[in-house]
Amino acid sequence: MVLESIHPAALVLVAALLAWKLPRTVGHALGIAATLSAAAIAWFAPTGTHYSVQLFGTFDAVLFNVDQFSSLMGLIFGFIGAVAVLYSWASGADRVQTAFALSYVGTSLGAVFAGDWLTLIFFWELMAVTSTLLVWHYGGAAVRAGFRYALLHGIGGSLLLGAIVWHYAEVGSLLFSASTGMEGTVAQVLAAVGIGVNVGFVGLHAWLPDTYPRPHVAASVFLCVFTTKTGVYGMYRAFPDGHLWIAYMGGAMAVFGAFAALLQSDMRRLLSYHIQSQVGYMIAGVGIGSTLAVAGAFGHVFNHILYKSLLFMAVGVVIYRTGEESLDEIGGLGRKMPLTAITFTVAALSIAGFPGFNGFVSKGMVLAEAHHYAKYEALWYLLLIGGVGTFLSFIKLGYFAFVEGSYEGEIRDANLGQSVGMIAVASLCVLLGIYPAALYELLPGGHILSWQTFEASHYAFEVFTTSHILEGLALAAAGLVGFAILRAPLHRIGSVPDVDALYNRVGFYGTRWLVIAITELYALVDRGAVVLADTSMAVARDPEGYVRRVPGSEGVLGEPGERYRPLRSGIGRSILLVVLVVTVVLVAVLSG
Amino acid sequence: MTDPTVAPVLLIALPIVAAAVVLLAGLRWPRSGWPISLVALVLEGGLAAWLASAVFGDSGRLVHELGAYGRPGENEFAVGIELVADALSATMVGLIALIALSVLAVTRRAGPRGVPFYAAYLMLIGGLMGVSLTGDVFNLFVFLEITGIATYTLVASNRSAPAAVAALKYLIVGTTGASLYLLGVGYLLMATGTLNMADLAATLAGEPSFVDGPMYTDPLVLASFAFIATGLFVKAAIFPLHTWQPGAYDEAPDGVTVAISALVSTIGAYAFLRISLSVFTPAFFEATPIVATVIVTVASVSVVAGSALAVMQSRIKRTFAYSSVSQFGLVVLATGIAVHPDAGASAAEAALIGAVIHLVGHAVVKGGLFTAAMGLALDSDARTIDDLAGLGRQSPVLSAAMALLGLTLVGVPPAVGFLGKWYIVIGAMNADLWPVAVVILLSTVLTLAYVARLFEQLYFTPAPSGDEAGAEAPADTSDDHAMAADGGNSADDGTEEHLSDPTPGAPFGVVAVAVGAAILAILLGFAGAEFADALEPFVTEVLGQ
Repeated sequence: MVLESIHPAALVLVAALLAWKLPRTVGHALGIAATLSAAAIAWFAPTGTHYSVQLFGTFDAVLFNVDQFSSLMGLIFGFIGAVAVLYSWASGADRVQTAFALSYVGTSLGAVFAGDWLTLIFFWELMAVTSTLLVWHYGGAAVRAGFRYALLHGIGGSLLLGAIVWHYAEVGSLLFSASTGMEGTVAQVLAAVGIGVNVGFVGLHAWLPDTYPRPHVAASVFLCVFTTKTGVYGMYRAFPDGHLWIAYMGGAMAVFGAFAALLQSDMRRLLSYHIQSQVGYMIAGVGIGSTLAVAGAFGHVFNHILYKSLLFMAVGVVIYRTGEESLDEIGGLGRKMPLTAITFTVAALSIAGFPGFNGFVSKGMVLAEAHHYAKYEALWYLLLIGGVGTFLSFIKLGYFAFVEGSYEGEIRDANLGQSVGMIAVASLCVLLGIYPAALYELLPGGHILSWQTFEASHYAFEVFTTSHILEGLALAAAGLVGFAILRAPLHRIGSVPDVDALYNRVGFYGTRWLVIAITELYALVDRGAVVLADTSMAVARDPEGYVRRVPGSEGVLGEPGERYRPLRSGIGRSILLVVLVVTVVLVAVLSG
Repeated sequence: MTDPTVAPVLLIALPIVAAAVVLLAGLRWPRSGWPISLVALVLEGGLAAWLASAVFGDSGRLVHELGAYGRPGENEFAVGIELVADALSATMVGLIALIALSVLAVTRRAGPRGVPFYAAYLMLIGGLMGVSLTGDVFNLFVFLEITGIATYTLVASNRSAPAAVAALKYLIVGTTGASLYLLGVGYLLMATGTLNMADLAATLAGEPSFVDGPMYTDPLVLASFAFIATGLFVKAAIFPLHTWQPGAYDEAPDGVTVAISALVSTIGAYAFLRISLSVFTPAFFEATPIVATVIVTVASVSVVAGSALAVMQSRIKRTFAYSSVSQFGLVVLATGIAVHPDAGASAAEAALIGAVIHLVGHAVVKGGLFTAAMGLALDSDARTIDDLAGLGRQSPVLSAAMALLGLTLVGVPPAVGFLGKWYIVIGAMNADLWPVAVVILLSTVLTLAYVARLFEQLYFTPAPSGDEAGAEAPADTSDDHAMAADGGNSADDGTEEHLSDPTPGAPFGVVAVAVGAAILAILLGFAGAEFADALEPFVTEVLGQ
C-alpha cells in the first residue's frame, strides 16, 4: 500500500509548512486532510511495518515503527489533530498559529512512531520546541509562561537524553526491541524524572496549569492532547513492566490534580489540573504493568484525548463568546448555549467516569486491575478518591458556568465549525461508553470476548457489572453530596498558589545569585590571569631589571649597562666546566 | 653508476674536492667561488636524493667498504672504514643537502663571499656528510674535526675582533670536547679491539668468541661512554657545556650563523644519537640504569636553563642561540627516554621518532629564524629585540616569517615544533617520566615568553624615531620633504644620503629562504605519519622491535 510508505509525521510536517504560506482556509483544509491521512495510515498500516536506517554510521534506528501501541497513538493523534484544526479554523486562529500547531502534531507523531530511543528523543525535544512556539505565538502573558515551559521541558528532555545515553552504555543498542525498557538503575531514575516532567509528576507538574490556560483557546485544544500523552507512551516504552513507585505516583497525581482543580476558578486552569489527574490514572496503569492495566492505560489515553479536547473546546467556546476566563464572571450560560452545555456535560460525565460514558470503561480497567493486587490496595483507594475529586470539580465547573446565575447580554452558541468538531467527539465519547468493544478493538494485548468483555492474560474484564456500576454511581453521589456541602466555600476561594510559586522564586533568585557568583569568580580569575600575564611580560621585557632587584645581585651582574658580562664564561672557565662535567658524569656512571 | 652504495663516498668526496677546486680556481678567477659551489651543491643534492631513494626504497641499509678490504678472520671484523647509510643517515644527508643550498642562496648577495668562505663552507659540508655517513667511531672523530675546523674558520671570517675571540673560544672548547670523545673511543678500542660501529655493538653485547659475555658493566666501557657523551655534549652545546655557542653564533657573520645554527650542533646531537643507539645500544642502558638517568637529568637541566637564558637576552641572535641550547637539550632528552630502562616499546619508539623529528625540525626552524633575523638586520639594522619595534609594518614578509617560525619554536600546532615535542612528551608519559613532561612544559612557557617579546616588538610597539617625528610636527616633516626634494639636485647630497643609508635591504635570497623555512616548518608538521614510516627501519633496527 502506498500509505504505508509515507511517514505520518512527514505528511503533517509538510502540511504545517504549507499552512504557514497558503491562505488560511486552504491551509486549514490541508491540515485536516493531512492529519486524517495520518490517522488512516496509523489505522491501516499493518503491525510490524517499520523503516530502519543507520544514523551517524553507528546507531541502528527505526524511524517508522508500527505496533499496537504506536498505531493507537497515531490514530487518536491524527483524528483529534483534524478536529482541532477544524476548531482552530472556526475559532479564528491565524495561519502561523495553525502551522505551529501542525508542526507540534507532526513531531508528536514522529515521537510515537519512533522505534528507537534516539529517534524518540529527537522528536521529543522538537515537540517541546514546537509547543513552546505555539504558546509564544499568542504573546502577552503566554510569553513568560512559554519560557518557563521551555525551561522545564529542556531540563526534562536533557534528563531523558542522559537516561538514553546511560541505557546505550548498558545495552549497546538504542532499539526498543533490544531490551525490555530502560536498563540500569541510573537510566531508570533519569528516565522516570525526565518523562515525569512531561506527564506532570506531582512537584514537576506546575508548568501544566501555568502554560495551558494562557494561549489562544484553539492552541489549548492542541496542547491538552499531545505532550502529556506522548509522555505516557514514553513512560510505557521505558517501563513496559511497570514499577510500584510509578504506579503510586500515578495515584498521587490523580488525587492531587483533582483536588487542586477543585480550587481553581480559571476554567482552563481547572481543566489543566485535570489533565494531571487523568494522566495519573494512565501512569497508574503503566506502573501496575500487567497487560490489562497497560491496556486500560492506553484506553484511557484514547478516551482522555477525546473528552479532554472536548472539554477544552467547550470551555473555549465559552471564552470565545464571552471573553471571560474565570468562573466568577460568568453563569447561567446553559440556556443560551445549549449545544455547548450538552457537549460539556457529555465530556464531564466521561472524564468523571460515569457509567455509559467512555471514561467509565478505561478508568474501570485500571481500577479493576489495581483492585487485584494487595500491594496496590492503597492505590485503588487513591484512584477512587481522585474520582470523587473529579466529580466534585466538574460539578463545580458545570454548575457555575451553565446553571447558577445569569449572564448579561446577547450571546450565541458555538458556530458551525466548532459544533461539528464538538459533536463528532461527543458522539465518540458516548459510543465508546455504551459499546466498549469498539474501544477494545484498539487496545494492545488481550482480546475481545463480548461487546463489553475484554480478556487480558488472566482476567476477563466486564464493564457493566453491578459492582462497577455501583462504584461509578457511588462516586457520583459522593461528588454531589460533597458539592452540596462545599458549594459556598468553593465559590469564595481565591487563587491558590502551587509549587511553582516556590520554585519560580527559588529558580529566579537562585539563578541570579549563581550568575553573579560565576561572573565574579570569572572576573577574579580573569584579573589574576591578567596580572600574571602583565607581570610575566614585564619580566620578559626587562629581565635584567628584575634580576637586579634581588639583593646581592650587584656583585654578580656588575654595573648596569654591562649586560651580564660576568655571567659569560671565558675560555678558562669554559674548560673548567667541561672538566667538571666530565668528572661528575664519570663518577656518576662508574659509581652507579 | 647504478649501484647506490657508491653514493655515500661521492657525497663526502664531492664537497671536499670542490673545496680544493674553489681554492685553485680562485687563484685565477677570484669570483668563481659561487658558481663552483653552486654546481657542487646541486650535484650533492642530486646524490642525496639518489641515496634517499635507494635507502627509503628497495635497498634499505647501504654499506660501502672503503678499499674493499672485506671482513676476514673468524670474527669477521671490518678491517677498513665502512660508510653506512640507513634511514637516519639518509634523513640527515637530505637535511644537510637542502640547507647547504639554502645557505648558498642566503649568502649570494648578503655575504660573506670570497674564495676562503666558499672553500671552508664546502669543507664544512663534506665534514657534515662524513659524520652522517660513517660507520666507524674514529672516522667520526675525524669528520667531527673537519666540521669543527671549518666552522672555526667561518666564524672568524669577517675578521672582526669579537668574532676572532669567539672563534678562538670555540676552537679551544670544541677541541677539548673532541679530545674527550677521542679518549672515549680509545677506551672502547682497548676494551673491544675494533672501531667499527656494528662490530663494537656486537662485541659489547658479547657475541664474538673472544669475549666472555656482555661487557656493558665493564668500567672501561662505562668510562668510555662518559667521555664520549661529554665530548658530544660539548659539540651539541648542552648546558653547561654550551659556553662557546652563544658567542660563536652572535659574532659570526649572519650568513655563517644560519649554516652553523642549522647544521653544526645538529650533527653533534646526531652523533650522540647514533653512538648511543647503534654502538652502545639500548641493551647497554638496560644493564646500567644510572646512565639513562644521568642523560635525562643533564638534558632536562639544559632544556630549562637554555630557555631561561634565552629569555634574559637582549640581542636577537643570542636569544636564538640560547634557545638552541634548550632545543638540543630536548633532543638529547628524547634520546635518553628512548633508551631508558623504564620505557616500554611504544614509549621508546615515540621518543626516538620525536628526537629525530625535533632534530630535523629544529634545523629548519632555527636556520629560518636566523635568516629572518639577518634579513631584518639588513632591512633596518635590527640587532637587539628592542630594534624590532614596528618592523611588522616596515618588513612585513620577514616579520611574518620570523613570527611564524617563533610560534613553531614554541610548539604551536600544527607546525613541526609541536610534532616533535608531542612525540617526546608522549614518550615521557608512557615511560612514566612525569618530571620530564613538567620540564618540557616549563621550557615551553619560557619559550613563549621570548617569542611573545618578539611579537610585541614586531607588531605592537610603534617604531620609535620616525613616528615620534611625524607625531610631533607634521608641518616640519613636509618642510623636510620639500628641502630634500630641493637638495636632491645636488650630487653631493645624493651620495651622502646613499652612504649614510645603512640598510640596503634584504636581498631576495634571504627573504625567500626565510619564507621557505616557515612554510616547510608548517608542512613538516603534517608529516608526522610519514616521518614515523620513513624511520621505521631505523627504529626497528636499533630498538629491536
